[in-house]
Formats: sequence, structure tokens, C-alpha cells
Amino acid sequence: MTASLERILLVEDDPDIQAVARLALEAVGGFTVGICSSGKEALEQAVGFAPDLILLDVMMPVMDGPTTLKALRELSPLRDTPVIFMTAKVQTHEVESYKQLGAVDVISKPFDPMNLSSTIHTIWATYHA
Amino acid sequence: MPSSPATPTQIQQQMQALRAAYAEKIGERVLQIEQSWDRLVKDDWNLETLRTLHRMVHSLAGSGATFGFTYLGTIARTLEILLTSILETGNPPIALQRIQVHALLASLRQSIHEPEQNLPELTAFIPSQSPLPNRGDSHLIYLVDDDPELAEDLALQIGYFGYDVVRYHNSTDLKEAVLQQLPAAILTDITFSEGDSAGIEMISALRKQLGSNMPPVVFMSLREDLTARLEAARAGGKAYFTKPVSVPSLVDKLDELTRAHPQEAYRVLIVDDESHLAVYYSLILQRTGMVTQVVTDPFDLIPVMSEFNPDLILMDVYMPHCSGLELGTVIRQQPAYVGIPIVFLSTETDLNKQLDAMNLGGGDEFLTKPIQPDHLIMAVYSRAQRARTLRSLMATDSLTGLLNHTTTKEQLVQETLRAERSQSSLAFAMLDLDHFKSVNDTYGHATGDRVIKSLSRLLQQRLRRTDTIGRYGGEEFAVILPDTDGATACKIMNDIRQRFAQIRQQSEDEEFSATFSCGIAVYPTFSDVGSLKTAADKALYRAKHQGRNRVVLAEK
Repeated sequence: MTASLERILLVEDDPDIQAVARLALEAVGGFTVGICSSGKEALEQAVGFAPDLILLDVMMPVMDGPTTLKALRELSPLRDTPVIFMTAKVQTHEVESYKQLGAVDVISKPFDPMNLSSTIHTIWATYHA
Repeated sequence: MPSSPATPTQIQQQMQALRAAYAEKIGERVLQIEQSWDRLVKDDWNLETLRTLHRMVHSLAGSGATFGFTYLGTIARTLEILLTSILETGNPPIALQRIQVHALLASLRQSIHEPEQNLPELTAFIPSQSPLPNRGDSHLIYLVDDDPELAEDLALQIGYFGYDVVRYHNSTDLKEAVLQQLPAAILTDITFSEGDSAGIEMISALRKQLGSNMPPVVFMSLREDLTARLEAARAGGKAYFTKPVSVPSLVDKLDELTRAHPQEAYRVLIVDDESHLAVYYSLILQRTGMVTQVVTDPFDLIPVMSEFNPDLILMDVYMPHCSGLELGTVIRQQPAYVGIPIVFLSTETDLNKQLDAMNLGGGDEFLTKPIQPDHLIMAVYSRAQRARTLRSLMATDSLTGLLNHTTTKEQLVQETLRAERSQSSLAFAMLDLDHFKSVNDTYGHATGDRVIKSLSRLLQQRLRRTDTIGRYGGEEFAVILPDTDGATACKIMNDIRQRFAQIRQQSEDEEFSATFSCGIAVYPTFSDVGSLKTAADKALYRAKHQGRNRVVLAEK
């Protein structure tokens, strides 16, 4: 378990979200960012990328976020990598249900690009506390 | 190795580039959504196409606001919710749902051309603030009269009501003073050694120089002819008093002219389980100067209401766990909230259903989502304004404008709770006019009413904005002084008592003076509302029996 947050993998099918999230995380946050457009791609590339944290969109075609999360947990190197869900609808009870699926937290869409990195840092700090 | 963070300027430029790229594609995305919906409606209904449609709308909802298209994102979000409910039933949509989708698609198409930064200037809907907001805090009066004795006496009498009166010997001196510092009002005679209408001419000249910054002017004169009155009105005079001037009437007019109630911001409570929509409405209303509070969990509503004390509630109709209509009913069941305006928000476009919703849920208005920002602002603003005016009227005494008996008691409960929470003190004073029955019997009830008004006016002038003044009974007043200890409260009330005794009350035949007695009790010496009132009442009684015209502090 690494204590520093440098590499973030984003699993997101929307190209526009991919672009703005990359800007938010790389230019604003200074992270190294890898991007996958589907759950399938994530399964193929995640181990090689070795992320410290995974941002996972909930609603994706073919394999949705929760299904992808379950599959990622089957890969030994990623068994303990923290995952944050990104989704449009976030209520208190839903955050709890996503956490029960194994996510450490939920970030709601639409997000503010200027604050995404600090939000992630906060979640990361809480996760390691 | 992470790349070095870009400079803020570079980030800004990249963000703008992304936004531009996003903007270019919106039209195509919306078109695809429309075409997908058309296929569903015209061809055989199938779940795969519906899921594709839902995903496209979801994507738009999840990204619009990120790129500055808040309104578009909100409409997409609303549409997504609707499509989700259609998906969950597994059946083709009913006619009502089709109409709703159609309306939302039309709004979506329309919103393509309205990115956030081009929204209409929302503040245009709110009346502009007073051009001289500082005027309300000023009690400075410039007085010029060629009769020094009269001027001195008038200055003294007006001063008892909290005005700072500066006297000038002639119009030239007055003009110089006004150009250096604006008073709250100008009191001037008409006739001077320079001429029968010199005062009017001076005011006209001053008005030309100052324009809209000209303070209100009150003329006084021995002249009662129409010519003088006309000239005074043309010079912009707000009032015209013939000598001898009635001080109570003059002070009434000065109060009216100098009173500024800095408009406290309207407070709007927004109840919507979709935090995105709630934040969206919140931002719109905040931009017009309102204060907002968002509740996304309906079960938080009651505690938030008592803490936030809203002027109006903006509430979604369709929420899980309990609907807006049910919440509205619960709100109306509580006496404290019977009068609060509730504005419902829903995608419901059927007028009959809207009327049913207002009837069932105790709503005052029904707004169909998605709502245009200016429509939302106007609906909220006008209802909040009317509600506050009504609340004020119901809370005040008609003769004096002070709080009435009921509201004063409620305020005492509130302030006592606040003192308890903040571990501070509070003084409660009860005042009773001395020999008031004989005033009425001797001079008539009209004069008695004027005495009551003069005391209420003096209290308003001399007490702080944070203090509460109530008319408790016929000739009885109550004052709540938060964050005030006993010694300070006694000093304040004694000062007012002495000033009140100096006021020359006027009846038709003669002048007389009036006095009041006062009892004060302090929290936490008396630790609850009941004992506070009892102690203040007993202290007042002792003040009466010790000879009246005095202030007595209650002792444990």
C-alpha cells in the first residue's frame, strides 16, 4: 500500500469528460493520468499502469462501474487499490451503497474542474487516516 | 513522474479550449438525442434504443455544467430522471410522459444557444437600491430660521427624538454646509431678510447643484398663502408647515423622510433531493441578492426551517421517501408556518394536476421544470416580498408600528433562547405611561394617542437596531435589549425617560409633559421567560409606588 498519490487511472467512456478530467488532474493537480474508455480497457491496462487510485464512472455501456470494480478486484495487484466512483446522482443513502460495493467514496457529476484534485486529495487523506 | 503543474493562465486557456470544443458538439449531441426519441415514438418501441437515449442524456447531464452550460445540464438532468422512470417501468411511456419529454427536448434545443455566461442580467428584475444607502443611518438635520429663539427651541425639541440638529443663521451658511456634508433633511424658513421667498430660491439653487443627491426639504413659514405653497412644492419641498410648528407632526415627517429600512435579503429555503438542481436554483437566487439554504434530505426540513427562518420555500414535488405535497401538508400543520409561501417545482405540465398539487400540498404557486431563471426570480421575489410585508403587518401594532403583544412575547422567547445558547445576558424592560387615564380624560383620546406615538417614536430613535420594542397594552410598552446587563439597561432607559419628560406634548388648548415608569429584569438573574416577565412587572409596580417617573431594576 503506497501512501503517496501520484498515478490516477480514470475509467470513463465520455471523451469530453476524459479531456476535462485530464486537464483537472494533470495541469491543475500535477498527477500522472491514465485514461480507459471502458471497463474492458481498464481490465487490460490497469495492472500495467499501476495506479495509486482509480476513478471509475458508474454508468458505462457493456460493463458498468460496479461490474468493472468487481472484476478489477480479481486482479491481485489491484486488490487494495482505492476506487472512487463518479456518477451523476448522489444521495446520502446511495453513497453508502456505493461504498458497500467497495468504493472509498463518490464524486458527483458534473464536477468543478478546478476543485477535482483537491476533492481527491481530501478523499485520499480520509482513506489513509 | 508527474508533469509540472501548469500556470493558472495556461490552465485557463486550456479550459476555454475544452469548453469551445464541447460547445461545438452540443448541437450534434442534442440532435442525436432528438432523433433517438423520434425513432422510439414513431417506430416500434424497444428498450435498447431507450437505453441508448438514456445514456446520451445522462452524459449530457453529467458534463454540461462542468463546461459552463449549467442550464443545459440541468435540463438534461431533468430529462434523464424522466427517462429513468420510463426505463424502470419497462413499458412504453404514457401520453403525459411523452408530452413531458417533448417539452424538455424543446428546452434542450433552446438551451444550446444560452451558455452560462450569456444569461440575461438577472439583477434587472430587482428594484435598485436607494441611491444614498447611508442616509438611513443619519439623523443629521440642518435648520435655518431667521428667528433665533424659535430655531433654538425647535432644535431642542427635535433633539429629544434623537436628531442631531445643526442651526445656521442664514441661507448662505446653510448652502456651504450642505455642500460639505449632506444632512438627512433640511428644515428651512421661507422668509429671510434677503426676501419673502429667499428660502425657496436658496433651495432651488441648491437642488440644481446637487441633483438627485439633494436631501429632503421641509419648509416652515408664517405665510399661509397658496403662492408660497406652490413655490415651495416647485422647489421640491417634501412638506410645508405653518408656524407655530407642531413638533409631533414635524417629527413624524422627519421620521418618514429619513427612515431607511435597509432591505434585509429575502431568505429562500430550497428543498430538492437532486442536489444539482437545488444548487442551480440556489445560484440563480443568490445572484439576485437572496440568501438561500438547500435541503436535499426532506427529513432535515423541520430543524432547518426553525434555524434558517425562511421567507419562502421552493420545493420539488417528486422526491423519494416523501413527496413535496406531503411535506407541504406537514408544514401547513404547524401554526408558525401557516402563512409561509410554498412554491412547488415539477415537470408536471397538466394544469389540473398543478391545481390539485397546490390544493393538496398547501402550495401557493406551481412552477414547471425546467424553469427559466428570470421566471424563477420573479415568482420567488414577488411572493417573498408580499409574505414579508404581511408578516410585518400582522406582527405590528397599527397605531405605533411597534411589535404587538403576541409578537413581542415570541421575540422574548427567541432572544432568551439565544442568550442561553451564547451564554450572554439580556434585559427585559416594561414601561407604563404615568397618569395616562387623566391624559385621556383631560386632553382627549386623540392627544393620548399622540403621547403614545411620541414615546414609541422616541424608543425607536434611541434604541439599537438589535433591540426589540413592543406595544404591550394600551399605554404599556416592552423592550428587549439583547447582550445587555442590568446597569447598562438602566442607564439606557433612564436616558430615554429623561428625554421623554422634556418633550412638550401638545393638545388643542395647551402644552403638557408626560412621563413613564419602568421596570427592568435581567437574564440570567431570572432564567426563564416567565420569571423575567414577572420580575419586570414587579419592578414596574415598585417604580409606580416609589413615585413614578423612574426606572427600577428587579432584584432576586
